[in-house]
Amino acid sequence: MTEPAVDVGGDRAPGDRPLRASPRVVLVHTATFRQARQLVPVLIPVAALVGLDDGLLTVVVMAVVVTALSLAASVLSWWRFGYADGQTAVVVTRGLLARSVRTVPNDRIRGVEVEAPPLHRLLGLVRVRIDAAAGSVGANEEELVIDGVPRAEGDRLRARLLARRPAGAPATGDDARPEPAEEEIARFDPRWLLYAPLVGSYLVVPLAAVGTLFRLVQELPDAVVPDVTGPEPSPHLLVIGLVAAVPLLALTAVVGAAVVTWGYRLVRRGGSLVAVRGLLTRRHTELEVDRIRGGTLSEGLGMRWARAARVNALVTGLGQANRRGQLLPLGPRAEALRLLGRLVEDPGPLTGHPRAALRRRLARALAAGLLVTAVGAWTAAALGWWWVPVAGVVLTVLGVPMGIGRYRALGHAAGPRSFSVRSGWLVREQAVLQRRAVVGWQVRQSVLQRRAGLATVVACVGAGSGGYAAVDMAAGEVPGFTAAASSGTWAGTLAP
Amino acid sequence: MSTPAAPVRDPAWSLSRSAIGLWVAEGVIGALVWVAVVTAVLTLVPESALPSPLRWALVAFAVLEAGVTISIRPWVRYRVHRWEVTGEAVYTLTGWLTRTWTLVPISRIQTVDVTRGVLQQLFGLATVAVLTASSQGTVRVLHLEADVAQRVADDLARRAELVRDEAT
Repeated sequence: MTEPAVDVGGDRAPGDRPLRASPRVVLVHTATFRQARQLVPVLIPVAALVGLDDGLLTVVVMAVVVTALSLAASVLSWWRFGYADGQTAVVVTRGLLARSVRTVPNDRIRGVEVEAPPLHRLLGLVRVRIDAAAGSVGANEEELVIDGVPRAEGDRLRARLLARRPAGAPATGDDARPEPAEEEIARFDPRWLLYAPLVGSYLVVPLAAVGTLFRLVQELPDAVVPDVTGPEPSPHLLVIGLVAAVPLLALTAVVGAAVVTWGYRLVRRGGSLVAVRGLLTRRHTELEVDRIRGGTLSEGLGMRWARAARVNALVTGLGQANRRGQLLPLGPRAEALRLLGRLVEDPGPLTGHPRAALRRRLARALAAGLLVTAVGAWTAAALGWWWVPVAGVVLTVLGVPMGIGRYRALGHAAGPRSFSVRSGWLVREQAVLQRRAVVGWQVRQSVLQRRAGLATVVACVGAGSGGYAAVDMAAGEVPGFTAAASSGTWAGTLAP
Repeated sequence: MSTPAAPVRDPAWSLSRSAIGLWVAEGVIGALVWVAVVTAVLTLVPESALPSPLRWALVAFAVLEAGVTISIRPWVRYRVHRWEVTGEAVYTLTGWLTRTWTLVPISRIQTVDVTRGVLQQLFGLATVAVLTASSQGTVRVLHLEADVAQRVADDLARRAELVRDEAT
């Protein structure tokens, strides 16, 4: 794995030197203060020391100094950065003072992602991320980033790095010349954006933005903040504000979803699946079909109501699986199922879990509410806090549909070539996997599960989160399911 | 230890009896830490901040914890823990209250490690860890005699080499 850098380019033309990123990337990095960002903690005490008494002049001087520093840092890091894609490995050299040389053998490359943030697009540049996760190591370290190469060079790299394994595939990655084997699997429909207000993650973004804004305002010196503490707002105004906030929140969710998913397109090209999406930052993710072991179908609470879903591919050895594996960011359930069916064969309808599992789900869902009610009874008697038991009762009542919902989500199925497990309520996730994906079984049974005749079975998989569980399955069904859901005869070891 | 509702078969072989000694030693060390913490709390925290029923509860909890981890848990664990290497797979059963059976086929083994902790060395024991491509699919055979562990690891590594398919 640690071949010397000289050998790597051995079959390249003699005198072929490591390639450089485009000099235009210096502009991007200067403008975004990429390297100079680290200087900010230093500059603040300096500013405090010098004082901002001179007002405008100091600010201008500081801005000029920071920009100059940023420019210098960008130039330096551009100058010290080099990459070479040899026949056997990719080598990236970087570092201002301490040089680092990273060599990734081509057969370890799991995926190549080409993304173009807005500034990059303006200058005709892209950023290439090369994912080289190895086995169970899930760290971010496994990623090589080549930032700021021209678009054509980015496409050349992607095509070259990925076209190597399926032998003989011509390395023409240019989007302008569509390859013959290209087949469109799914395409973005703007109507899908209407699902966004029902997706938790898109709703959270505007709320987080508002939170950040508030914190910023609090941190600003008092003199700068205009005095807005007029008379106390009346309750009517508050209600109107809240009512107005709902469509605003929905709108920001739609906009957020549009930014991330606009122009989504999923294409099969040769031996890879290519997903493109993004309004401002274009993301171009390529997954090898041979490494796909299955997929997950996730549906949040609101999404289930609107029959929407999202699909992720489970790819062996793929780092940051949640982001990279995303094949359908948000779409109708029917479309999601069709897509999942192309990844892995449908194992048939799910078998529900025994009634004892329902009792366990309910006990768990009600426990918190009952505890609050019990404590509340005491606080009401001792301190007169009547709202605590009321909250407890409300929580308990809400626990009933939650427990039933969690139970309904449970299920498993084993088909001739694939199997499936499902669980979760806030986000219900169904994993469908090929039988050959299983690299081990784990069966867990707590004391309470033993008394209820249940057990939890985890299929260990070298993809996605590493394990997918059938929660609270009937203990007697475990040997049959594990044997039916793994390839070969080894799982027969579990049979009593 | 077979229970009426055991979901799967138990592996055939039990651990070395020295494992009991090791677990007792671990329990004693844990208890000493508890004694130090409780003594520190009782002497440093003033009476007003921590009323005496809470003090007694703390002492009782520490005594109970020490009693369970030293005199009960090692023996329960020894009765529960089992392991087996079959022609096709490595199979273990671990835990004491919650039980975990783990099965990994030899064809999917990526790495076999033998580790010997400080305490384990005192008792002449070693742990064999069998790693796969899945972060959750790791089998650990705890506390085997050191020479047995080494033999098992060598054998597994050799057989994994022979039957290895794609391993992912």
